[in-house]
Amino acid sequence: MYVLEVKELTKSFGKIKAVDHISFNVPEGSVFGLIGRNGAGKTTTIRMMMNIYLPDSGEVILQGTKIGQEFKDKAGYLPEERGLYKKMKVWDTLLYFAELKGKTGREVEKKANYYLKKFELYDRKNSKIEDLSKGNQQKIQFITTILHDPEFLILDEPFSGLDPINTDLLKEIILELKSQRKIIILSTHLMDFAERLCDHIALIERGRLIFEGPLNDIKARFAKRNIQISCEEDLAFLKEAGIAESVVNSGNEKSIKLKSDVDPQELLKVLIQRNIVIKKYAADEISLHEIFIEATGEEKRLSAEEANV
Amino acid sequence: MFNRRTIAVIKRELKNRLMSRTFILMTLLIPLFIFGILAFQTYVMTYEGNEKTNLVLVIENENIIQKVKSEFDSLLYIKNGQISIQYKSMDRNNLSQYLDDNKKAMLEDRISGVIFVPNKALKNKNVEYYSKNPQNIKLFDKLRAPLNSVLLQIYFADRKLSQDEIDFAKEKLDFNEYRVSSDKMIEKEGEGNTIVSFMFSFLLYFSLLLTGTMMMRAVVEEKNNRIVEVLLSSVDSKELMTGKIIGTSITGLIQMAIWMLPLMIVISTSLFALPPDFAITLTMGQLLYFLFNFFIALVTFMGMFASVGAIFDNDQDAQSGLWPLMIIIMIPFFIAMGMVSNPENTLARAGSMFPFASLIIMPARMSLIDVPLWQLLVSIVVNIATLLIIFPISGKIYKVGILMTGRKPTWGEVIKWLKYKY
Repeated sequence: MYVLEVKELTKSFGKIKAVDHISFNVPEGSVFGLIGRNGAGKTTTIRMMMNIYLPDSGEVILQGTKIGQEFKDKAGYLPEERGLYKKMKVWDTLLYFAELKGKTGREVEKKANYYLKKFELYDRKNSKIEDLSKGNQQKIQFITTILHDPEFLILDEPFSGLDPINTDLLKEIILELKSQRKIIILSTHLMDFAERLCDHIALIERGRLIFEGPLNDIKARFAKRNIQISCEEDLAFLKEAGIAESVVNSGNEKSIKLKSDVDPQELLKVLIQRNIVIKKYAADEISLHEIFIEATGEEKRLSAEEANV
Repeated sequence: MFNRRTIAVIKRELKNRLMSRTFILMTLLIPLFIFGILAFQTYVMTYEGNEKTNLVLVIENENIIQKVKSEFDSLLYIKNGQISIQYKSMDRNNLSQYLDDNKKAMLEDRISGVIFVPNKALKNKNVEYYSKNPQNIKLFDKLRAPLNSVLLQIYFADRKLSQDEIDFAKEKLDFNEYRVSSDKMIEKEGEGNTIVSFMFSFLLYFSLLLTGTMMMRAVVEEKNNRIVEVLLSSVDSKELMTGKIIGTSITGLIQMAIWMLPLMIVISTSLFALPPDFAITLTMGQLLYFLFNFFIALVTFMGMFASVGAIFDNDQDAQSGLWPLMIIIMIPFFIAMGMVSNPENTLARAGSMFPFASLIIMPARMSLIDVPLWQLLVSIVVNIATLLIIFPISGKIYKVGILMTGRKPTWGEVIKWLKYKY
């Protein structure tokens, strides 16, 4: 079941096509990563999802209806470029942003106090924002994003400009909210963060969607399917058994290339059934970073070909 | 009328502005400043310098010297030594010689000027003035009446007229001003309404510029600080801009109402009786109209100031991008100031019903004359129509500009923004 469906979103600024027919679906209870390099169109996509920009065409569907103010109220948004009113007091800032989301009264105040205590800023309640350190300002910014208890958390390059302590703090918040079954959408150009946090990925390059889907599926698709095994037995039978494409024996070190439809688990099962003693097993898992390089490199080649036609 | 988000923005703006030190300071200082300017202007216009004026009065006919002298000696500026006069008698030939001899003294200001009253002056009233600064109009204004008086005296002396008749001839003509209006008795007009008219124009001018610049700065700050994108994830840009404008305009209106308070007390109670020369013929209705007009002006102009703020991302650029707004505020202001000499001139009349200009000229004009009702209505309709047209345009520029960072856009690009689908 998809909570949020992005359909054929397109947006141009003058002659520049910032986002070009992008579609993807955000499943329930997932951390969804919008990845791509700087200027790929992530922020524009997110702004259209937040109803800040009106798309030239396409739409974003929230549980069956087109998004509008209702979605804004349900979402907490942390833009890449963020800020607070410097002269406003911490307490007033928190209540103001909650009020804009339609939350006022005792409940919000209680929550604000809870978060201030949690982030060790309770004693700075009446300070002006400009009197806080940069790191503490970032903490206040997180609190304003989550204070109204959003169902959706939309984070645009959430880790940019954060100090290491706040980076960890934000990761903690993201995982905590995930465990509360909130839907988290984050954009990043940092592949290792995306790999560790996201279940679902959409890769955008030059305004176009390259691929999207569960991270595991994508990894499987791009996996190199090379497995190194060290054992004494001969493994040539794997070829006949329809498991391996090729088996290279070099002494005890064997290099196996799996057939594309075979799961590495399958290989292990067969080896154990045959009582083969495995001394070392290494399936070199492809990283999201490598996938990104491979996918965008391919994209570059494709667009070069297009240019030649 | 407004949704909760707009109201939240209005509340923040009001809290932020009404409590600020700037607001309190400005409320106190602007009236002082305006009266300061008026006082300074009056002082400069009547300033004559404190240096003494040494005149030589040369009269061709020796016999009338004594008469002239006695006329002058009774005058204050002779008595207090501000002007000292040396009396001589000589004919035109000797005068040329005298001027030649005293050229150095005249150039060095030991003699400020030489007045020559030839015999012919008794017939044609033409006197001559020799000085290195012959365009001394203020001096002429001072000397004209006494000299004229002596000439009249001599001219009529052998015609057997009574002193009463001569006095009548010497009397200056004086205009007494009466205002004729539809709803009041004919009243004698004092200086009061001229001052009110000046005050209206000045307050409108200063208040629009100051409140506008503050508005612009606030928008630049939000854009520059990147708060705006956080805000836009909760409210849409129209709600945000409307909230800011309404909040700022209410603040401006409160400030203006505070300034109008003394005037309200003067015209509605008899606590302070103004001297008849400064009587103000202004009704409460007109004052309320002024405040209403001011509110429309605020909303109209604040929208434009906000859009200028949204175009630029720093104060300096924004400040220099203000010129289109300065023009439409300053020109009407100057027309309003110049109108005092004749509030019915065509420029003033047309201006008081012209988009933007009307907001500033009409209040000043209304305080000077009884503006026909139809003109007042046209002005209100024009103002509201202007607001309805300009507000969406400002809103569009604001919406596009507020998220546009980087290179400073040109005016051509800003016009293109209007066509963007946002």
